[in-house]
Amino acid sequence: MVPMIKSSLCAVAIGALALPAVAQATPTLTIYTYDAFAADWGPGPGLKEGFEAQCGCTVNFVSAEDSISALRRVQLEGEATDADIVLGLDTATIGEGLATGLFTEHGIDLPDFDIPLEWTDEVFVPFDYGYFAFVYDTEALDTPPASFEDLIALPEDFQIVIQDPRSSTPGLGLILWVKALYGDDAAEIWQGLAPHVLTVTSGWSESYDLFLSGEADMVLSYTTSPAYHVIAEDEDRYQAARFDAGHYTQIEVAGILASSPEQELAREFLAYLVTPGAQAILPETNWMYPVLEPAGGLNPGFEAMIDPEPALLLDADEVTANTRVWINEAFAALQ
Amino acid sequence: MPAGPTFMWRPGRVMSGATIALAIAILIAALLTVLWTTGRSMPTTGSSVANIGHLVRMSAIQAGLSTALSIFTGVIIAWMLDRLRFPGRGLVVGLLSTALVLPSLVIVSGLLAIWGRNGWANLFLGPLGLPTGSSIFGFWGIITAHVILNGAFAGRIFIDRLAAIPSEKIKLGRSLGLSSWRRFAIIDASALVSSIPGVAATVFLLCFTSFAIVLTLGGGPANQTLEVAIYQAVRLDFDLGAAVNLALVQLLVCAVIIIPATTLSPPATLFGRRSTLHWPEPGWLTVLQAALLAALLFAFIAPLAAVLAEGMGPALLAVLNQPAFWAASATSLWIGVASAGLALALALGLAMARGLLSTSKLPRALLGLPVFTYLTVPAVVLSLGFFLLARQLGLPPSNAAPFVLVIANALLALPFVFAAIAPPLEALSARHEKLIRSLGLSSFAQWRHIEWPLMGRPIGYALAVAFVFSLGDLGVISLFGTSEFSTLPWLMYRAFGAYRTNDAEAIAAILLVLSVSTFILIPKLFDWLTHAHD
Repeated sequence: MVPMIKSSLCAVAIGALALPAVAQATPTLTIYTYDAFAADWGPGPGLKEGFEAQCGCTVNFVSAEDSISALRRVQLEGEATDADIVLGLDTATIGEGLATGLFTEHGIDLPDFDIPLEWTDEVFVPFDYGYFAFVYDTEALDTPPASFEDLIALPEDFQIVIQDPRSSTPGLGLILWVKALYGDDAAEIWQGLAPHVLTVTSGWSESYDLFLSGEADMVLSYTTSPAYHVIAEDEDRYQAARFDAGHYTQIEVAGILASSPEQELAREFLAYLVTPGAQAILPETNWMYPVLEPAGGLNPGFEAMIDPEPALLLDADEVTANTRVWINEAFAALQ
Repeated sequence: MPAGPTFMWRPGRVMSGATIALAIAILIAALLTVLWTTGRSMPTTGSSVANIGHLVRMSAIQAGLSTALSIFTGVIIAWMLDRLRFPGRGLVVGLLSTALVLPSLVIVSGLLAIWGRNGWANLFLGPLGLPTGSSIFGFWGIITAHVILNGAFAGRIFIDRLAAIPSEKIKLGRSLGLSSWRRFAIIDASALVSSIPGVAATVFLLCFTSFAIVLTLGGGPANQTLEVAIYQAVRLDFDLGAAVNLALVQLLVCAVIIIPATTLSPPATLFGRRSTLHWPEPGWLTVLQAALLAALLFAFIAPLAAVLAEGMGPALLAVLNQPAFWAASATSLWIGVASAGLALALALGLAMARGLLSTSKLPRALLGLPVFTYLTVPAVVLSLGFFLLARQLGLPPSNAAPFVLVIANALLALPFVFAAIAPPLEALSARHEKLIRSLGLSSFAQWRHIEWPLMGRPIGYALAVAFVFSLGDLGVISLFGTSEFSTLPWLMYRAFGAYRTNDAEAIAAILLVLSVSTFILIPKLFDWLTHAHD
């Protein structure tokens, strides 16, 4: 990836020296995203290869620690940003993205998505999705709880690890999940959960590691987490606990920046992202569901995942307006 | 040679020290200013951070307790290791400060492997009916983790102070037949006292701004630090003005600790060539020391052993076959070398100037403050500040990243380097000033013939600490676009974040081996280099 970035920098530098003929020969599409997406084992390299084969351009992934950091970077850079696309915001952070006023409508004809809701957003294009769930170890636990009430009713030595909603996507997801199910009674649920919360880690990695080393009985993660263990490690002891009342949905999206000089190329990339070919790359690199039937079908490992119906999702505006209040409500109960 | 006031005697040294102090102060001020002015031009919904007073109080209690216990533990460890001789002692000393400089995620998993619900301790204690359960979590979990990390660091610094007690002192004490207690109170304590304020200030700052350990072991929002609130203001609220204000609150609170530590610390006086004279304690006390040391070593070294054991799986070979691993190793190595060199240069400059000002409190404080300032500014504020500064200077972030990383790591390591070299350097100045003046030695000749030959070990240790420390932190360039620029710890965090726990554990073990070897080899190398000039 190093030579690519260097050459793209050269392209920028040459462009600045008013030699547009050279710069135009290979336009560069710069995509800000979260680190795991651009990592060697993430979807980044495959998508880059796939899109470059058809666009006659160079794709340059620039990774920030997480998707919010990528958005913040664009906010700091303003009009002068190199980014054409921000990729990786999700249903909980779309509102933050829109509020910046930096994004423009995607303007592409979207295919029929196979996702749990009608997609009408004119700015962001969804590219994968998943559901939050508690993951447990079948060798240590026979009957997992099937609801938050079940979980609360377990003996106090039944411990879960969750993530800080201020720094972690699943952590925020749990806040929204509880709110979607219990509304004004969410605080009571949090009070009931409090004795079971072993700790609240800053990131998903720390808590998942605590769970894998046996420190906690369940960890807040995704319904698709077990697919990684099945497909990549041939290990089927980890399962997601199905909650009958439903699981909260996370849909990851990408959007085009209004400041981008490569609008056409950016639109082409978003259209490519929702083709069966590109979708085939995502499940086993990002461990999320594709938004439509991928080329070659979905790995059967995913079929064994729990059915998360009914899929829960709160209105994006409501989420943006209330996130802080809801976080404080949960924290007050956890104190 | 005219006998002017001390600070006029070596104007070059005083000026370099003052320049370094000023440069660091300007850098920090620039970082905060650029963030604050940018914050004013950004729309924000306002900060949702509440309860600042409570956070400051909680952080201060936690950090104060951690510091007191760490210093106490450090003194005990140094006292025991100074008296005892046993095979593998060098390895034990090498291991002592390793925990502090490893990424905290590694340390936490090492601690849990011992003290967690599924840990070795429960494995042995459980069948005896003494299960400890999940007691490593919560307030006391944080304190335990902090004491294990910082107590070992303090112990490591103190051992060198004890080892440098001139042999005349020890001979005299022995011939006077001092009891064990009076020997400690008269000889050891006076060698340690000049190091304690610096080490204590460093430990306090580390605990006050602790992030990952507090969150992971803290058990929830009841145990949090101001640092986490600042993170919230930046990340969630994007209220940069509020972040700067909170950072200033943190700076002020920390100043309450740093200023007394830098002004009140007595200039060190005892420092000599490493003594080969060994004066053990009486038999019964030696047995007690050995038993206590064994218990403490279990607490300190078992978590590291666990990290090593967990990393030695089949994933190790797979990791060694990844080109990304070798690229990250190369980056880690050169960043480590560059920042260690820079940190040492800065610390030497500041310490030499301070050594000349042993009687003037205010200049001493002004030269001591910059050492700690960087540690008190939250990483997320530094990260944003550097990013904005680079942009305002017209540097593309990916070009600026290596420089930012070297500067940031050098400044982060500065308190440790300073703690290792400043007291001995001051002691040398104080002890040999008359001789140096009467011989009319130039500043360089003073360095070449007096300081360098005696400073080999502290410098070696300081470089080792700074090097290993700089292998570690990448947080400060999280905004700079890191996919093309990766270090070993970053590779490890990535692996943890992508379900690749085995890879991550293997990298952690490699980091551990690398750190321990550095701590053993680099001080030896410098010892040899300096003695080669005898």
